[in-house]
Amino acid sequence: MHIMEGFLPTPWWQVWFAVSIPVILYGIYKMNKLVNEKREILPLLAVAGAFVFVLSSLKLPSMVTGSCSHPTGTGVAAIIFGPAISAVLGTIVLLYQALFLAHGGLTTLGANVFSMGIVGPVVAYLVYKAGMKANINFFVVVFLATALGDWATYVTTSVELALAFPAGDVLTFAGFMSSLGKFAGIFALTQVPLAIVEGAVSALLFKYVVNVKSDILVEMKVIEDKVVKKLRGTSA
Amino acid sequence: MTNILDDYALISPLRHINNWLKLAIVFFGLLAGVSSTSPITPLFIALCMSLATVALGRAPLKFYLKLLLAPAGFAFTGVIIIAFFSGSGQELMSFELAGYPLVIRADGLELALLVLSRSLGGMCCLYFLALTTPMIELFAVLKASRLPESLIELSMLIYRYIFVFLDMALSIKYAQTVRLGYSNFKRSINSLGMLASTLFIRSWEQGDKLFLSMNSRCYDGKMTLFEVHRPVKSTELLLTSVYFLLTLALFYFTKNISIV
Repeated sequence: MHIMEGFLPTPWWQVWFAVSIPVILYGIYKMNKLVNEKREILPLLAVAGAFVFVLSSLKLPSMVTGSCSHPTGTGVAAIIFGPAISAVLGTIVLLYQALFLAHGGLTTLGANVFSMGIVGPVVAYLVYKAGMKANINFFVVVFLATALGDWATYVTTSVELALAFPAGDVLTFAGFMSSLGKFAGIFALTQVPLAIVEGAVSALLFKYVVNVKSDILVEMKVIEDKVVKKLRGTSA
Repeated sequence: MTNILDDYALISPLRHINNWLKLAIVFFGLLAGVSSTSPITPLFIALCMSLATVALGRAPLKFYLKLLLAPAGFAFTGVIIIAFFSGSGQELMSFELAGYPLVIRADGLELALLVLSRSLGGMCCLYFLALTTPMIELFAVLKASRLPESLIELSMLIYRYIFVFLDMALSIKYAQTVRLGYSNFKRSINSLGMLASTLFIRSWEQGDKLFLSMNSRCYDGKMTLFEVHRPVKSTELLLTSVYFLLTLALFYFTKNISIV
């Protein structure tokens, strides 16, 4: 869910840039290290970024007709590449979305990167790691990771809006909470079902990839070989 | 999904204007709009930028108006929340909705209008950039701005592959649609999952091929670009300075005005 251009007033858009930029720099540092080790990774990252962009420009089928709904796609990237690199990919994709599709904006880029490029992927990645450790079914874990990542994104966006526009003009804790409740409550109407749909689509994505070309996932250390064998055994 | 703003930028006559001048205009508009305290300055910026985009940049008017409506959903929900729940001043109107009292206060409405106009001004600046400057022109600017090399490299490759994959996604989607893949909700989810996974696998293979082909052409981590030198004409400079001065004057004289 993108915050549109000009929506955040003066102290807040700078604040979110200040929060996001160190994380992006860390991501670039990580990426440079990875590229120096394995040169073939840069083209792969590039196509992954383009994949995230195209995925996010597809319309999701939604139960509420009329609402405009797009997947974020960053959950999938976080599962494959980890959160630091997803932040870099997310930043580039968000910039392109602002320039090509008019989703989001330039002054609000910092806030959008924070919610969609940093918090969402980090939550998705943590859920994914925890789920795999707990030995839950891989597809269930993917579903949970993407859906929870989406919800984290939408809660963060609500927090960003509530901090900028607290109830009663002056930023107090009570005003912030009341405003947060309202933003979160109204956006929940579209975002809660949307996250479930995106989770389902992501789980299906991984199901087809495991069936057709699982060596990609094993190579990227997303899942282990024996998990693939088990999954194929049950789904065949 | 098929309308990428970049397509219009490539055929815009304003494409041949100096990139730095256009960027200066856009960032000036964004900053002046977002820091203004009355809705008048952002609306003036919106008007000027729309005129520049449609009259000078030859963007189709109908398409432009449709674009402006695109983010309306987000804008209106946000603005309505602000109008109803912020502010503490005098009540303008109040009513009850399902036993829940709703009040619009004067300063809440003022803030909502300000936010709406700022968004409008910002969107117009953004569209001016998007509809007159193709991304390939901006890469030269990015290179000159001394951002990390790998980041620029990555964004160039991503840009290239967006078009390849959009094409692929569109043809797969057509094929699925004519086979009734999107006829009901359950089928749509399934089709979309298949589309995404095919796209993923194909893009992965494409990435391998790309690495091979770039390596065989001596890729060493740097792509050099040809940057066209475009001097700023005096009429452009004059027009820009008039616009800047007018905006600043308006910004100064309307800073304490409230319209409600």
